[in-house]
Amino acid sequence: MISLAGRDILHGWGKFVLTGVGLGLLIGVTLSMAGVYRGMIDDAQALLDNSGADLWVVQKDTLGPYAEPSSLNEDTERPIRAMAGVDRAAGVTYLTMQIAHRGKDVRVMVVGAEVTQPGEPGQPPYLMAGRRIVQGHYEAVADVKTGFAIGDQVKVRRNTYRIVGLTSRMVSSGGDPMLFLSLKDAQEAQFEKDADAIVRQRARTASSPALNPPGNPAVAEAVNAAQASSTNVNAVLVTVAPSADADAVAAAIRRWQRVTVYTRAQMEEILVDKMIANSARQIGMFLVILAIVSAAIVAFIIYTMTIGKIREIAVLKLIGTRNRTIAGMILQQALGLGLIGFAVGKIAATFWAPFFPKYVLLLPADSVRGFFAVMAICALASLLAIHAALKVDPAEAIGG
Amino acid sequence: MAEGIRIENLVKTYGQGDTAVHALRGVNMSVAKGEVVGLIGPSGSGKSTLLKCLGAVIEPTSGRMTIGDRVIYDDGWKVGDLRALRRDLIGFIFQAPYLIPFLDVTDNVALLPMLAGKPNAEARKEARDLLEALDVAHRAAAMPSQLSGGEQQRVAIARALVNRPPVILADEPTAPLDSVRALAVVDLLNTMARQFETAIIVVTHDEKIIPTFRRLYNIRDGVTVEEGPAGSLGSDGAGKS
Repeated sequence: MISLAGRDILHGWGKFVLTGVGLGLLIGVTLSMAGVYRGMIDDAQALLDNSGADLWVVQKDTLGPYAEPSSLNEDTERPIRAMAGVDRAAGVTYLTMQIAHRGKDVRVMVVGAEVTQPGEPGQPPYLMAGRRIVQGHYEAVADVKTGFAIGDQVKVRRNTYRIVGLTSRMVSSGGDPMLFLSLKDAQEAQFEKDADAIVRQRARTASSPALNPPGNPAVAEAVNAAQASSTNVNAVLVTVAPSADADAVAAAIRRWQRVTVYTRAQMEEILVDKMIANSARQIGMFLVILAIVSAAIVAFIIYTMTIGKIREIAVLKLIGTRNRTIAGMILQQALGLGLIGFAVGKIAATFWAPFFPKYVLLLPADSVRGFFAVMAICALASLLAIHAALKVDPAEAIGG
Repeated sequence: MAEGIRIENLVKTYGQGDTAVHALRGVNMSVAKGEVVGLIGPSGSGKSTLLKCLGAVIEPTSGRMTIGDRVIYDDGWKVGDLRALRRDLIGFIFQAPYLIPFLDVTDNVALLPMLAGKPNAEARKEARDLLEALDVAHRAAAMPSQLSGGEQQRVAIARALVNRPPVILADEPTAPLDSVRALAVVDLLNTMARQFETAIIVVTHDEKIIPTFRRLYNIRDGVTVEEGPAGSLGSDGAGKS
């Protein structure tokens, strides 16, 4: 059986391919939008995976440390470490900030982690180059996405840190690459006051008889020292022993330590269902609009192509061509357009995904879903043209 | 000669009551196999309506129509599938060739048998044989846009003949052609009618070819009057629009 659709496409392949490329770019944008959404989820999951924690201990009644501010004393970790079922526990700080580097501002999430021994929760689980932080101060490990290189000096607040190691896929839930410091350095960066604030605070302390009792200057010095430094962390990351049940350990910590504890599933829910929910809805709306626009474009193109062949369709009907043959021709052309569009869109999305500032994750399953969605949209969009073609009166081929 | 197509007292009325338009008022006509007849008449006389009834494109109001021994219409269609009827029993040649622009010459001709389920190779062989008979075989691989007007009309004739229909309806087939090519097309139709034993009805306004018909039907006000050969036409210039 001859393929009328195929012959028609071959006859005007340039126009058809150009139309398919145009549609493909639109499909590429749609796939990229889906990829942005997947990237956000993957960033969130990477954040949880890379933390190496089974439980997140945060300030009571907060959603911290990623969704809300949370502050705990770093000593919270000690009793937790001693509890049954706990394998490791370590304080961690998170601070998103902008760092000037080689004339450009780089937005990073500064992570303070215990560096006393390898494998503590909060440390980067693997390195691509260099080494881990071994000194207590002024060393940093950066995600490659920061653009930092080993040996680079970066300034965080008042101090300068040397990049000693590089890691990858260590990002915040917002996609910002991480910069790992020792916990002490990160605490200093996070809670450090500027010079003016310290001067005013010292003046206030000095003028307070309660904090600066006459004849005992050591009290004021101790108060000033306490105010100029911080021993707070944003969360304590806990790994449970292999034989322990994470939910049971979490329940025990909640009961005894007057803190809020989240398990992996709960933290994932906070990140994905709460933090990303609005963005996901936003992207969902874009996807719906893009799908409608794509359908409208395909419908318009196929309709225009069909209307341009009305006389030929009338002749075909007059000489006895079945309706289903004509409908099949139009449907095949619409699907052909969708096929070209999808191929172009997939290639385009794959090509431009790395250039997006945020991580774009193109999942094969999404591509398969996208393919069937494009085909369904094209089939639906062809209905208008099929309706127009079937309405053509074969008598139109006969003059008079 | 055996009968190709016969219509008796064919009536076609559009609308009803006071607004009814009587396009055909009892047309009688008979064309033998192998015969080419002309159908002439002024504009609005009912030529196109008759052609559409003969082509099973519109349904007559009453009358009887037979193709060969087969009753096609007798106060109602006597065949279930009018598309198949048109495909198998009637060939069409149009004022313009209306070849399918995205098919080459061979496939334009072979399309009908292919759509009817004939294997492509067989359909194409039949098409090539016909193109040979019509002297356009050398353009078999060309696209319609690469053909001259005369070549396109020959291909259109081949397409009408490919299913060996007992009847061919030609609607002003020489309109776009100069007199030499027009007469050549009529010669070709006569040859093909004899060769394939097909009854051909040529609707025309073309005074160049009117004298060539052995028999002419002149349709006026929805009624046909059989005229003799050329020259016996009425003095009012029937056929002019």
